[in-house]
Amino acid sequence: MGIQEQYRSEAAGLLSSGAVKLVIGFGEGSTVERRRPVFVRTPAETERLVLDGGCVANLSTYLLTEGLLSDGKSVAVFLKPDGIRSINILAAEAQLNPEQVVIFGFDIEEGQVRALEGRKASDFAPVIGVAKAAGLSAELQKEAELLDQISAAERFEYWKDQFSKCIKCYACRQVCPMCYCRRCIVDVNQPQWVNTSSHTLGNFEWNIVRAFHLAGRCVACGGCDRSCPVNIPLRLINHRMAKEVLDAFDYYAGECAEQKPVLATFRQDDPETFIL
Amino acid sequence: MTRILPKNRLDDCIAAWRSAGFSVLAPVRRSDLSRFEEVERSEDMALDLVLTERTIKDHFFPQTEPLIKYSIKKHDIDTQEMVPPERKRVFFGVRPCDASGLAIDDPLFGWDYRDEYWFKRRDNAVIVTIACTTSDDFCMCSSVNLSPDSTKGSDVMLRPLQNGSGWQVEALSDRGNALLGPISSILKEGSDATASTASVPVRFDVDKVMAWLADPASFESHFWKEISVRCIGCGSCTFLCPTCHCFDIQDEGDTYTGIRRKNWDSCSFPMFTMHTSGHNPRNTQSTRWRQRIMHKFNYYRGKFGVNSCSGCGRCTRQCPVDMGITETLQAITNLTK
Repeated sequence: MGIQEQYRSEAAGLLSSGAVKLVIGFGEGSTVERRRPVFVRTPAETERLVLDGGCVANLSTYLLTEGLLSDGKSVAVFLKPDGIRSINILAAEAQLNPEQVVIFGFDIEEGQVRALEGRKASDFAPVIGVAKAAGLSAELQKEAELLDQISAAERFEYWKDQFSKCIKCYACRQVCPMCYCRRCIVDVNQPQWVNTSSHTLGNFEWNIVRAFHLAGRCVACGGCDRSCPVNIPLRLINHRMAKEVLDAFDYYAGECAEQKPVLATFRQDDPETFIL
Repeated sequence: MTRILPKNRLDDCIAAWRSAGFSVLAPVRRSDLSRFEEVERSEDMALDLVLTERTIKDHFFPQTEPLIKYSIKKHDIDTQEMVPPERKRVFFGVRPCDASGLAIDDPLFGWDYRDEYWFKRRDNAVIVTIACTTSDDFCMCSSVNLSPDSTKGSDVMLRPLQNGSGWQVEALSDRGNALLGPISSILKEGSDATASTASVPVRFDVDKVMAWLADPASFESHFWKEISVRCIGCGSCTFLCPTCHCFDIQDEGDTYTGIRRKNWDSCSFPMFTMHTSGHNPRNTQSTRWRQRIMHKFNYYRGKFGVNSCSGCGRCTRQCPVDMGITETLQAITNLTK
């Protein structure tokens, strides 16, 4: 039995026993290659679940749907290691109780799906340990270094050009499990702290606000980058922020549910190189 | 015999229009994004794209636009209108769906008052459309009573020749005819066969959809919750839509001076309908998605006699969670089988 069939059958079992009220997984999309999130509530519907190399989205975002977990019942969700790290961060930030989340863990290597052992977020500590030891994505690092090689003025022009494409659709925010604020700072309008205008200044404001709020919280799932309808390379910004917190504080976001948020904690030996 | 624009004379064509005082805008791919921008040479054009990621609507109804400058003095307020300058522009290589989008929005911008910001640009633009010979899995013009060679909204129609050497030229309006003046020596007579247009399958039954939407019982149908459950509530589909036209007015500045701007807004956002009291009549994503569909295929038709969708398919093509108008309208079509 392949992993897809195994998880389908387990999902059906969890639903019929009432252990979970909902399974959030992947299903067929509007084209042969596309996979889309599906929400399964009955054992019969588990037939719709698909698990293959196209299932790249981080579905943990949906766990924060208003009211979903407030009845104390459990929900099962298909997650890769990045999504499992998101669960740990959301638990650390008191946004969900990890005991209510049953995880169908998997990883994708060279287009092939591999099952990960465990059902609770804490079961996956070894997997996340391996990911941390492997370091940040070498591929992204290579891409980011190209930007490090040019002058600050050239880099500014690069980002100005990229941000000029932004239309403030907020797909990057909406798809992100870390952007759970019921009212984002850009939507606070009494007073309007951040311009809603999608001009150069407004686009810089939004993208910088987003970057800082994700520092030490982003798990590099790539959701924002894939969702951006105007192809802004958001991955490079996220990668840079992740590298900063890793280098400065040896901090790898989402290691476990007990991990303290990096920007909300202080240690005596924290580097303070930027304070004059 | 018809008139032909040879592909190898495209640079002369651009030069002729530029000498006649036109800016020429065409599809380009720059900084990893396809959109319409001013071009000076044909080699900068990306005419082989099925469709640009951004629409030409952006050039008539920009994402942010200054309306007035104001300054508040002790006893009076100075205001200065910031109507865009009249600028003659040719949009070359527009797809029929994007051209139709402009025509669909015209009545809206000219309804209770004439929106100068839209019409200053519309009246000075000439739309040169190229009929589609290719399409993709998301194109759906044929489902909304349009087609890969619809002439709606176009001033000149170009049909690609089968041998790839150029386009058959047809002027569709006075503005289109006038545009062919400066290039009359470039055009030649010919009888070359035109390439067959793209075959875009009909993906839903729009008449059935409209009938179902018009039924008052449909408004509270459970259908809306089911179809929109994975919607994450971003504005990607509305902002990439060639017909979506909602906006918000914002003042930017300090207590005494500033600029009043018109910024795109989206019915997908909770803030779109939030009242000052804190009450939100559309407080769930399903009610917001219902609004989008109802507006396009029921309310807009009721007011202006046309659906507010030209079938470009961008809503599905670029949706982060693979939703879109096509899936919803297919599901409604199936409901009423």
